Amino acid sequence: MIQLLLLLLLTPGAALAAPFSLSPPEQFRALDTPNDAGKSISLVWKPSPGENKDWKVQVWMAESGAGGAIGEFKKVMEFPSNTRYLKPGDFPWWAQPAAKGDHYVKVPFSAAFPLEDGKPYAAKLVIREGDQEVASPVSEAIPEPNWFNLAQANNLMFVVAFTGVLLASIRAARRNPHVYLRRIAGLDAVEEAIGRSTEMGRPILYLTGAGDMGELPTIAATVILGEVAKRVAHYDTTLKVPHRDPIVMAVCQEVVKEAYVEAGRPDAYREDSNFFITSDQFSYTAAVDGIMLREKPAANFFMGSYFAESLLLTETGASTGAIQIAGTDSDHQLPFFVTTCDYTLIGEELYAASAYLSREPVLVGTLRGQDVGKALIMAALVLGTTLATLGVLVQTDAVNYVLDLFKDFK
Amino acid sequence: MISIDRRIIFLLIALATSLPLLHPFGLPIKVSPEVRAVYEYIENLPEGSVFFLSLDFDPSSKPELEPQAMALLRHAFRKNLRVIGMTHWLTGTGLADDIFSKVAKEMAKESGKDYVFLGWSPGTGSLVISMGQDLYKAFPSDHSKKPIEGMPVLAGVRNLRDVTYLISLAAGNPGIEMWYVFGKDKYRFEMAGGSTGVMAPGLYPFLRSGQINGLIGGLQGAAEYETLIGQKGTAVAGMDAQSADHFVIIALVLLCNLFYFVLRGEKGRPGFNA
Amino acid sequence: MIVLKRQLPLAITFIMGVTFALQYYIPHPVSEEAITHLSKWMQIISGFALALGLASLFQVHAVKIKRQVAGWGYSVILYVAMLVTITVGLFWGQGQTKVDGAQTAFGWIYDYTMVPLQATMFSILAFFIASAAYRAFRARSREAAVLLVAAVIVMMGRVPLGQFLVPWSWDVAQWLLNVINSAVRRAILIGVSMGIVALSVKIILGYERSYLGGGKDQ
Repeated sequence: MIQLLLLLLLTPGAALAAPFSLSPPEQFRALDTPNDAGKSISLVWKPSPGENKDWKVQVWMAESGAGGAIGEFKKVMEFPSNTRYLKPGDFPWWAQPAAKGDHYVKVPFSAAFPLEDGKPYAAKLVIREGDQEVASPVSEAIPEPNWFNLAQANNLMFVVAFTGVLLASIRAARRNPHVYLRRIAGLDAVEEAIGRSTEMGRPILYLTGAGDMGELPTIAATVILGEVAKRVAHYDTTLKVPHRDPIVMAVCQEVVKEAYVEAGRPDAYREDSNFFITSDQFSYTAAVDGIMLREKPAANFFMGSYFAESLLLTETGASTGAIQIAGTDSDHQLPFFVTTCDYTLIGEELYAASAYLSREPVLVGTLRGQDVGKALIMAALVLGTTLATLGVLVQTDAVNYVLDLFKDFK
Repeated sequence: MISIDRRIIFLLIALATSLPLLHPFGLPIKVSPEVRAVYEYIENLPEGSVFFLSLDFDPSSKPELEPQAMALLRHAFRKNLRVIGMTHWLTGTGLADDIFSKVAKEMAKESGKDYVFLGWSPGTGSLVISMGQDLYKAFPSDHSKKPIEGMPVLAGVRNLRDVTYLISLAAGNPGIEMWYVFGKDKYRFEMAGGSTGVMAPGLYPFLRSGQINGLIGGLQGAAEYETLIGQKGTAVAGMDAQSADHFVIIALVLLCNLFYFVLRGEKGRPGFNA
Repeated sequence: MIVLKRQLPLAITFIMGVTFALQYYIPHPVSEEAITHLSKWMQIISGFALALGLASLFQVHAVKIKRQVAGWGYSVILYVAMLVTITVGLFWGQGQTKVDGAQTAFGWIYDYTMVPLQATMFSILAFFIASAAYRAFRARSREAAVLLVAAVIVMMGRVPLGQFLVPWSWDVAQWLLNVINSAVRRAILIGVSMGIVALSVKIILGYERSYLGGGKDQ
């Protein structure tokens, strides 16, 4: 009786303790790697019970000829069997080549086994443990380059959606340009600054930053220059605009001239108000500092993008007692502007200022479109954070159906 | 007293900078996780891995970024990595060449065999794309005009996809962001960044999201790296001066606030004439 | 003429903009070859831009010298410096600062003028930061007080002396950099990036034409 009891107790234990035996990979198939530039094949198979690091998986490939004839197999890869699983986050759900948890291996082009597009190749897996081995059936695939990366479809969708929102906003702004834009403190000071310069009989210095005409801060700076120039034309104050870029200078010359004409003071316009110094960062800074110290402008405007020269410019300006208004999206220079200038337009306030002052429908509409975009991003952040947290608490992957929409896959 | 002559402040800063350089006090340097991440990644690279170092700065940022470059190169050469160097800043080409020559000579490494300095070529982002397709078309020769085709250091390297690890030491634009957008995003190599102290806080979003796996910020970052490789240089020497400068500024700021509050208190008192 | 100045550039911008925006989503080798060719063209154009910058500099200062405007002497110095550097670079060292380990004349100009001048300009920042901090870091309001406290903690935590005297300052500085700073920078980055995308869309679609020269878009 006791022996029987012992036998009954030990048998399941013995069964549990016995190692899993090698078994051929289940549902093994080869396929053309999706969403790639070609010359690559992917292999997929189900995980086997008992997989461990001692079982080595070998990938063998051969060229497949006409009539199903397969050439000599060559070993191209080897790795432990408990690796190379398809994990959440590897592919989006709409472009997944296999189920999560399955094995997935990409066999790229290599000097050892060069893959050519359009040619069929045969693949098989061999799983070895010591002297024992099992092989999978042979599967064939033809590598081909793809014309569209489906994994990035969400990215394209967002680009198209944002473009649509932008165009709709511009259209709406063209129909009704009186869109509400909140008041920006630095802009109220523009009149004060110009008035101060006129009273003191000193010039106004306006800088458009380090960027070229293809950069948004520089475009915003030129628009604001136009508005400043209109007010300056009324007061008959001297305006000085030193430049680092010849093309920006050419644009600003037109902008200032037009501003004076619009203000009804074409006679007061001076050709030399816009002048080119140099494109070198510190040479330009030294020259402008010299202008500030010699001519002591009563108001300095720093609009555009700036780098290390920002503090050299603003601190020199502050030492001359000028009122200083800055606007930049160069976030690494913001601390310097905030501490040395009387007013600072931070980041998008610079773009908003150009729209606010000019009320041009395209600028106003763009700003509105960006605001809508940002609102959508904020909603996505809240939704995504909530879902991701829920997913962890409830231990489910179902939330990834939504979360994957906001991820960047390659 | 609240409006102190700027020249007094300048004098205090000058003294705070120069005295510790003449009489260093040598305090221990604490290593941050972001610098350690770069060190450990390089430390774990197998011998012969391809390490790309882009020195994207000019002489104005030399005090902060040259120590970073030298510490990284010493580490890379010690690990016998194959080093490829270049710069996107035209005015920094001579400086970058100097750095490579100096450290290579110190570590007995040979150009063409252990490292290659490609120099500068126009294009920034377009150049990175070009290098990503074919390095030899982007740079047919190195900075000293020797053809790079066939160089032992570039064996098996056709383009940026063959690079194991890339670090951009940047003082502005073009720099780390440009390398990420046109380089890592497309060609999938691992990447880290080094920058001036001013730019470093702006790169933390890239670090936190994993777009760069480490960040060496300013002279402090360089000093941390020198401490990790066990070879102290100009960065560690400069930290004493930086410590003194920071404390002078803190003292001045606290003093200024003290005067401000005292004056504000006195203004509130009846009979006070400002 | 208006077609060449306006319509043709707009058409080129539209076609190239849409094509290479879509290129990002196309992994096919044809797309990769197209971007390789384009990047070569852009490299060549960048090279020309350098020459353009140089020509522009020569022309601007030549006018200043001719008209003898205030400060024209500096323009003469600029001319002399440019011509000497170009000549020395071309004929003594072929544009190299070192040849076989030996410094060239061009290298001498680079090491003993360019490097110290640039380093000097940048080093002035240290002094200016101190004077700006003294003038501006006053606890005038609650926000200014928060800025002041954060600045003092980070200044202490980022140097060995501060880490030694106030050990917790390092941890707080790291937290401020990794959490608060990252969050704020991300917000600014998202806003600025959206601005860049919006500008790019406007340029491709022709709504924004200031890059063609002229003040407002027409």
